[in-house]
Amino acid sequence: MKVNNIAYACLTQHCENGHKDKKIINWIQNDLSETGFTYGDFELESNKIAHVLKDSGIQVEDVVSIFLPRSPKLISSFFGILKLQAMSCILFSTLGEDALLDRLGNSQAKFVITKNSLVRKILAIKEKLPELKNILVVDKEENRDEFILSLPALLKNAESDFVYPHQVDAETPAFLQYTSGSTGKPKGALHVHGAIQDIVQAFQEILQPEADDRYWCTADPAWITGLSYGIIAPLNTMTDSIQFGGTYNADHWLKIIKDKQVSIWYTAPTALRMLMQENEEKFNEVRINSLKRIYSVGEPLNPEIYNWGKKVFGTEVYDNWFQSETGSIMIANRPGLEVKPGSMGKPRSDINVFIMDDDIKARPIGLQGHLTLQKGWRSMFRTYFHKEAAYAEKFRGEYYITGDLAYQDEDGYFWYVSRSDDVINTAGHLVGPFEVESALLEIDEIGDAAVIGADDPILHKKIVAFIVLPNNVKWDRALELKCRIYISNKVSTVAIPSEFIITDKIPKNQSGKILRRVLKAYYEGKDPGDISTME
Amino acid sequence: MAITEKLTQVFREVFDDETLVVTDEMTADDVDSWDSLSHVNLIIAIEISFGIEFKQNEIQNFGNVGELKQSIEEKLEKNCR
Repeated sequence: MKVNNIAYACLTQHCENGHKDKKIINWIQNDLSETGFTYGDFELESNKIAHVLKDSGIQVEDVVSIFLPRSPKLISSFFGILKLQAMSCILFSTLGEDALLDRLGNSQAKFVITKNSLVRKILAIKEKLPELKNILVVDKEENRDEFILSLPALLKNAESDFVYPHQVDAETPAFLQYTSGSTGKPKGALHVHGAIQDIVQAFQEILQPEADDRYWCTADPAWITGLSYGIIAPLNTMTDSIQFGGTYNADHWLKIIKDKQVSIWYTAPTALRMLMQENEEKFNEVRINSLKRIYSVGEPLNPEIYNWGKKVFGTEVYDNWFQSETGSIMIANRPGLEVKPGSMGKPRSDINVFIMDDDIKARPIGLQGHLTLQKGWRSMFRTYFHKEAAYAEKFRGEYYITGDLAYQDEDGYFWYVSRSDDVINTAGHLVGPFEVESALLEIDEIGDAAVIGADDPILHKKIVAFIVLPNNVKWDRALELKCRIYISNKVSTVAIPSEFIITDKIPKNQSGKILRRVLKAYYEGKDPGDISTME
Repeated sequence: MAITEKLTQVFREVFDDETLVVTDEMTADDVDSWDSLSHVNLIIAIEISFGIEFKQNEIQNFGNVGELKQSIEEKLEKNCR
């Protein structure tokens, strides 16, 4: 089956239909200055980027990684890559060297588009990336050498038009979205051009934008929400949207919503919890009359936050659920469906959701089990890139096992319970404990380490690290700082543990596997249960 | 050692970037990986390096490095009294 190339669906078709000069994204910087971008702006620059990549030898299905903070250049680069039918892989600009190596190594990226100040992170691991041909730097006017090239210099000579097939096979690979597992390295969920059909259908069914709406999705495009619902869906549906290039700041965020007349706001529970820490008078002063609906995704939206949000913003807050692997919203609260505070809502059209036991048999209403989706939806990931066995493990026959535990009530609403594995959902980011432990063990002063997730009123789950020190090492603030900085720069800032607990021994079974449930029980002051397998 | 020089060393260590040069106008937007999480690292590193302590309500209130520097100076002065 043929579908529109995502780049055609989001940019080129609108230019062809007379909307080339339509301002579609208002880009707001941290100083709250604003720049408008039209379809024509993104079309022109993505054409040039496609030329640059093609002339540099990038071919169909090659991977080009975008290692940039959110920026207009990131958007143009994404579409330039898709026009070539190469694969885009957007990475968080906060990733450290180890995390970057895992992702660039697994994807075998040929090019990385980045900014000058981030180049050093790539150079530190360059020798371990034999497939990497060039780094394209977006903020350097001249090439640094033959390996580190200036994108602006290359764009100067690139042609403005780029001829590409507007229709592609629906199964043509489009982008990789990396996600963490409870064991081993991160996995790249591969999505195809056909995914856009589900991404857009869900946008219209759940977020329901209308012609006069102004939409703001706060997610970074390295996160599936930021890509599917910050870039693809609003551009495809001609939804007037804003993007904020700055960091979280309650005053700025509220000012943006008020001054820019945001009517549909798609954010995350952690952001709402952080706003909840602010003085309530601040919200009275702002009086955001434009806001019609708030959506939340990434972690469960507990009733306390729901009720607070509804009270201070005077509008409904709709929680919804999806994953990097699902590509688009699967379960959601939305207008027209009574909200049960704390619930994920109901599946959207054509999505079949079940609660299953370990043998993949349906669980009765009200009893928790594996949140399971019947496979076959259009935005379903097609594989974990170069990790077919890990992909196969996620399926049991016709069913995709999401890794979340949930239950369904008698009215058909789904309720999130927890992860079924050891992955830690902290502020909407999935962090694999293995990545953090590996980094900790690289520090000379650390003898052994184990990491768990524990409840946190702001982050949903915080990372707690248990540390074993050799006899001659003492824990102090300087060593804690060393650990924090190391994890921040090797893995990511989101992986920094909130707590370090010094212990004599990490509980492990006889094959050396960390018994995290024992650590969790210890942390929560509960009975660890059966410890007969403990070493 | 001047505060700016010492602060530059702290920034370089925290953000693992030997090329960083601290200026008064610098904000989180100018430094990769300077987000709310690594900001905690920065504050701890400054506290250890300068032998001062920030109160919880001070930590998120610096508009730029200049304001951070001013706060460090005030705390150092207090320590000297």
